Amino acid sequence: MILSLSIISMILLTCLLSTSQLESQLQPGFNQALIQTRKAEASGATQIEVSQLLTLLNRALELNQQALQLMRPEDTGRRAQLLGQVNDLLANVQSQASQLEVTASQRAFLNKVTAYVSGCLVALIATVAYAYFRRFWREYQIKRTFQMRIVPK
Amino acid sequence: MSLRMPRQNRRELFVVFIVLLLIFETAAYIATTPRPTEQFFQLYVLGANHLAADYYPNGNSNIRLRDPVKWYLGAANAMGNVQLIAIRVKFGNQSINPPNTQQSLPSPAPVICEFTRFLGNNETWEIPVVWLITNASTVGGSTRILQVHVNNSTYTLQDLSARNGYNFRFIIELYSWDDQAGSFQFGWFTGTEHRTAWLQVWFNMTSTEPP
Repeated sequence: MILSLSIISMILLTCLLSTSQLESQLQPGFNQALIQTRKAEASGATQIEVSQLLTLLNRALELNQQALQLMRPEDTGRRAQLLGQVNDLLANVQSQASQLEVTASQRAFLNKVTAYVSGCLVALIATVAYAYFRRFWREYQIKRTFQMRIVPK
Repeated sequence: MSLRMPRQNRRELFVVFIVLLLIFETAAYIATTPRPTEQFFQLYVLGANHLAADYYPNGNSNIRLRDPVKWYLGAANAMGNVQLIAIRVKFGNQSINPPNTQQSLPSPAPVICEFTRFLGNNETWEIPVVWLITNASTVGGSTRILQVHVNNSTYTLQDLSARNGYNFRFIIELYSWDDQAGSFQFGWFTGTEHRTAWLQVWFNMTSTEPP
């Protein structure tokens, strides 16, 4: 009776997921990797660059879930191997995201400077064009005036 | 054609230059500054034909033992950045409380399974889900569901029954990762406002006899 009750409770514990178990299943590196990825994104990383990081993060998530399904004592080695791969992937993501943050922020700064300098140049060119247009228009009006014929009434 | 001009004309050109400079620099600012957008998640469940219909086999919400039911669970990220989300599928009956949206509390119903994924901004994620009841019993006019199979896994349930088999439900909740707390939170925060997204789909199981 006691044995059957303990077996049933063990089955229930392994099958029924609780909130605290779900949260503790994620390796701590996931939080850091997510924070670093967001920093790279906020610095101006493109969608393609971020999606490459996302692919690695989701792969790490998949391996993490595979590892946590290995509950038997004989799977300890395989589980440790998978968790090692997860940590390697997360470290890779953090490193790539850090580099991407620097590259993206430099690129974003350059884009901003280019945009403002271009605005200034366009304003200058437009002003010069306006000055030439005005002079041309005045000369045209003078020429047209001299072309008029004076007809006595 | 030279541009030698009187002082008045030079002053006029200077004003024109300043006005054009303001216009083009404003355009440059607008082009290089991202606009603020509303931040939210979307959560949805579609039927077997990828529509908001046909949630049950033959349109009958009275499910029999081992009748497979196919749905598509989906979530979309419009939060403006990468998010880690979890879709938790819970199983309940009529008496279990649903999520409390006013206090932003999840339902106390037991979790059957969870799907987690990193989502990019403006990315939609859809998960095909096939579920079936693999073990149930009828005790004193109540139907008790003992086991449910979702995709490739079987989940055992405890103390989940409904009178005459009416009004079982799946409660689907969206959780997002809070990097400050280092854990999932029910719903998400936009500024100081806490928002939640959840769905429920009802079904009956009036008979525990296999088809």
